[in-house]
Amino acid sequence: MQLILDDNRIEDAISGVDQGAGIRVTSGERTTYANGNVADVDDLIALAGRAARGVADGGELHEAAEPHPDELPRHSTVAIDPRSVAVERKVGLLRRANEVARVLDPRVQQVTVSYGESVQEVLIANSEGLHRTDTRVRLNLAVHVVAKQGDVLESGFEALRGTAGFEMLTDEAVEQAATDAARRAVLNVGADPAPAGTYTVVLSSQAGGTLIHESVGHGLEADLNLKGLSVYSARIGQKVASDLITVIDDGTDPDKRGTAAMDDEGTPTSRTVLIENGVLRTYLSDRKHAEKLEIGQSGNARRESFRYLPICRMTNTMIAPGSSDPNEILRSVKDGIFVKKMGGGQVDVVSGNFAFEITECYRIRDGKLAEPLRGATLVGQGPKLMSEIDMVGSDLGYSTGTCAKDGQGAPVADAQPTIRIPTVVVGGKLK
Amino acid sequence: MSERLTNDATVDIGLAALRSLAVATGEVFLREARSGSVEIKDGAIESVIVRGERGIGIRVLDEKRLGFAFTSDLSADGIRACADTARRMSGVTEPDDDLLLASRAVDDADLDIYQAGIVDRPLAERGGVALAVEEAARAVDPRVKQFRKTTYSDSDSTTMIATTTGVRASYRESYCGVMTSAVASENGDRQIGYHGEAARRFAELEPVRVGQRAAQRAIEKLGARPLVTQKLPVVLDPWMAMELLRAIGPLFSADNVLKGRSLFAGKVGERVASEKVTVVDDARKPRGLRSAPFDGEGVATTTRTLIDRGVLRGYLTSLKTARKLQVAATGNARRGGYGSPSRIGPSNLFVAAGTDDAPAVVRGLDRALAVTSLLNLHTIDPVSGEFSLGATGNYLERGGRVHPAQGITIAGNLTHLLNAVVGVGTDLLFGPAGFGSPTLVISELSIGGA
Repeated sequence: MQLILDDNRIEDAISGVDQGAGIRVTSGERTTYANGNVADVDDLIALAGRAARGVADGGELHEAAEPHPDELPRHSTVAIDPRSVAVERKVGLLRRANEVARVLDPRVQQVTVSYGESVQEVLIANSEGLHRTDTRVRLNLAVHVVAKQGDVLESGFEALRGTAGFEMLTDEAVEQAATDAARRAVLNVGADPAPAGTYTVVLSSQAGGTLIHESVGHGLEADLNLKGLSVYSARIGQKVASDLITVIDDGTDPDKRGTAAMDDEGTPTSRTVLIENGVLRTYLSDRKHAEKLEIGQSGNARRESFRYLPICRMTNTMIAPGSSDPNEILRSVKDGIFVKKMGGGQVDVVSGNFAFEITECYRIRDGKLAEPLRGATLVGQGPKLMSEIDMVGSDLGYSTGTCAKDGQGAPVADAQPTIRIPTVVVGGKLK
Repeated sequence: MSERLTNDATVDIGLAALRSLAVATGEVFLREARSGSVEIKDGAIESVIVRGERGIGIRVLDEKRLGFAFTSDLSADGIRACADTARRMSGVTEPDDDLLLASRAVDDADLDIYQAGIVDRPLAERGGVALAVEEAARAVDPRVKQFRKTTYSDSDSTTMIATTTGVRASYRESYCGVMTSAVASENGDRQIGYHGEAARRFAELEPVRVGQRAAQRAIEKLGARPLVTQKLPVVLDPWMAMELLRAIGPLFSADNVLKGRSLFAGKVGERVASEKVTVVDDARKPRGLRSAPFDGEGVATTTRTLIDRGVLRGYLTSLKTARKLQVAATGNARRGGYGSPSRIGPSNLFVAAGTDDAPAVVRGLDRALAVTSLLNLHTIDPVSGEFSLGATGNYLERGGRVHPAQGITIAGNLTHLLNAVVGVGTDLLFGPAGFGSPTLVISELSIGGA
């Protein structure tokens, strides 16, 4: 279900069901995947026929094992199923967010609040006898605010997203999200453009984890590493980052947006240490790539829906906390930029070059926060940046997003402590 | 297979369900598609995907309130349940006097967007396109050694819409495309070059051109180094220009204009771009990749000049926003699929070909940056128009390449960009997403670097 409040009115109310299946047949190096909307067993058998035709020539046939259903532990608590919550209560949250955002500042010109709930029922069965189910209850409440000052328009955004029950959407959390979105829009509309150049940058733990997702995470996906295309290819056991850096992907992190009981091949999700004190330990794998690269199955084969083949990708990815006092990190910088919130990012995994958007940042002068800046971007090269980080805080902050890879979207969370980067290129404008 | 209703029967049951619910007006939208893709690796087919999709979306407009529901359960009971859910959803939204459903019949223009049998071609032929792309890329230069991914894809889809207010129309369309990311290596440096193209007809795909272009893109980045922070004139070839044009699309949305989210609000009749810039949205372009006879609300599509030699002429509208602005609906309520409601968006949006000899304009610049790839395009905020993107490019002096650049940013504002166009080439091209542009020369953008 999706509800959208825009321009002070509930404009959209959407509800629907999409049901389907996909049948994957592998023969030698070739995979055939037939999928579609199915209503019954007849549809499913027709699909199986289409999948089998793709590999009909030659190839060994194996007899399918008897299915052995088993139950996996769930990592998300759903105390309140959102489907059991009256629509009036959901509408009430949207209205409350709208009010909170609008009263914050007269420069707030427009507010959009959306509520999305999805319940994904997954069943995976294979010819080895695996037979598992998972139910992923996902919630998304997003606030988008537009502020206007003179001829300048700016937006502010904040979202509450998780694989969790309706209890995550408390009044306080929703009000805070609305306040943050409105505050950000107003702050940016009054801010000067960020000056382009090279700076010392402190990334607050509140900034979220886009940095680790883009600069390192994608490069650790096993499919790219089997092809030898990643900057991290064939480097297991080698030093790829500063001693201060430990990177973990954890699909079992309770209630987080990237959490599930199993991945989309039926492998249980896990907590995988990818980089330990700067040393590369393993990659994010699916079954095929784990076998070919002779690494453990990490449970990172994910797909958007039955319409897609699973691919290796992140769940909830973080830089583990270090030992520095976050305030001390800020105080240590005489002249630099403090990033309080990151937006979206992108990486070219082959060269390692990445870019990510900054949606809230300030100039640091003499170890203190000074004027706000708008329109900044951070660019760099993953391994180089990771070897240069010289302070890692003892705190940890999360952010959420939807990761895009090969045309598929996947819900993810990212996290990091406060960190210091001695020198990095900041994109912005010149006067 | 269980009794399968025809598309017409499915829509009829939907309309009958709406009438029996006694709602004021309603609409049934149906999409049926067969699609597929072939991915290759090491000169052989690695994976084949065969996809089928069929579902409906029902909108109810009752007491000036709109509800939407969708389903892939196309049994008679499933269709009726969907209509009833749409009715319930309409009770959740708030009334708007300007909401309405289409009631004017759509003309039956032939846009030449359908070739039968595209998804039924033999696997060898479809996979062969992808193989030809890689072969052409390798032939360009021995430094092209690998590919991140090369995929051929195609689809055959039917779209139907019917309203209780008298509209009933349908069309079929075909699509095929191929894309690759070639990887070039030299002296430990490794660079990727992406290129993709698409067509309505199989024979119109040019795999050799796709492979060559991707290879060139990868090779020209080898040896790239940063630039110092400075302002420079910027050259956008058609492929890079269309990427930025895509970000400009939302500025024309009447919904954004009405809600104070567009920098073009209140600017009709005013200069919003350089006199060299004319921007057209043409949903009736023959064989256009986003051409269609009607939009997601069943309104006949149009061809519109949005910016005429720098002057803003109008917006893209839906039925509701057209009524609010008291203009004719342009047929730009685009719909992604049966499960998503329509949103205002462009069709084949393009910058019209200019008269400048682009290479000559570039030779006239002491220094310039010709952009070869952009990172983070999806983060451009259409509300503020601000962009600050990761980039690679070729640093030029008097049109000659001095060295390739990476690890840099380009930043500006979309409205500033439109005003700063000092050269528009004659080389208009359309890309796989339906956007089109000739080479654009921009007087100056901020470059962030070392």
